[in-house]
Amino acid sequence: MCKWCMKHGAGGKWYLNARNYSNELAESMNLRAYLEEQWRNFEQVYIRKIMGISSIGLGYKLRMPIIGRLIRWSVERMIHSESPNRNPVRADGHFGQVIPIEEAELIMTNLAAEPIIKNYCMCRMMQKGVKDSCCINFGLLSGVIEKLPRFIPENTKVRMTREEAVEALEEQNKKGRVSTVWFQPVPYINAICSCEVPQCGGLRLRMDYGLYTVYKAEYVARVDPDLCQGCKVCVARCQFGAIWFSPTLGRVIIDLKKCFGCGLCRDVCRYNAIRLVPRDEVPGVRGEY
Amino acid sequence: MDKTKIKIDYSRCGNATGGIDPRTCSKCLFVCDPAVFVRHPAIGVEEESPNDPKYWQVTAVWLDLCIRCGKCVEVCPQKAITVSW
Repeated sequence: MCKWCMKHGAGGKWYLNARNYSNELAESMNLRAYLEEQWRNFEQVYIRKIMGISSIGLGYKLRMPIIGRLIRWSVERMIHSESPNRNPVRADGHFGQVIPIEEAELIMTNLAAEPIIKNYCMCRMMQKGVKDSCCINFGLLSGVIEKLPRFIPENTKVRMTREEAVEALEEQNKKGRVSTVWFQPVPYINAICSCEVPQCGGLRLRMDYGLYTVYKAEYVARVDPDLCQGCKVCVARCQFGAIWFSPTLGRVIIDLKKCFGCGLCRDVCRYNAIRLVPRDEVPGVRGEY
Repeated sequence: MDKTKIKIDYSRCGNATGGIDPRTCSKCLFVCDPAVFVRHPAIGVEEESPNDPKYWQVTAVWLDLCIRCGKCVEVCPQKAITVSW
């Protein structure tokens, strides 16, 4: 289990703790004002100067000898901040974790607070110019987003039932998108996204710059060498470049160091050759989130 | 390797001065494979509504990921983008 499960999991995984979804928690932290401010300024987070430094050319800045390490340290501290006076315009305390589809569905059917809404993915909108209604938000955040017309899909129903939300998640899974669950801010959970590399804001910082905006799942994918027929369907599904076909062995190989444990390869395998095993059971990647 | 510089001429791109709304154009965003550009309401006009089309612009943020393919320069209808290194 990761350190966020230790802190906010109440004996289990952090995203399966019902307390983190409750309206009482949101009210006690007075989150309405925070979320309104964060979402009104959402697209500006990479442009805005934070402590004198903006994200423009972030890769170059991180490569600078001493300043780069200072920036990395302060960004990490900001993303995972739990202090009571967090600044919403720089999204303090906003990070997530990859989850397999069955856990996303479990959250939707049992844990997510009403009302549940579907809105445009703002990462894809601001970085690709594409309007794609796939983000599912719930609880207090729903009421906040409903007041911001640029995120609301046209000509469709915005509010959803739990069954419709599960269907929407499955549809995104078939398209090949990774389910992620988000703290916004720690420890309140109010979104399940269907992310895609490279235009996801969180995965961009994680994959390209090594900042922990998205944690790997509690699982890793293992191939059964006897069952794999080498059809390579799973190779095309991996967003993280963790899986490839070995001509010598005639089957696929999964690089567990790169595997995020989303389970997309497992969902598409016709021979049931891939299964998810808990990360803790594989000594080489235990504790690597 | 030298740093990539991507300059966007806001006198040609942007509704306030260039006569084109980045929210309906967005061609550079769509064509960029590493997704270098971000479309956002301009900083410093927070008092205004973020939904006012006047204040939207495109900025190249992830400059170190640019592969210098030149697709954004080609696709821009206003010829507002220059890539140099």
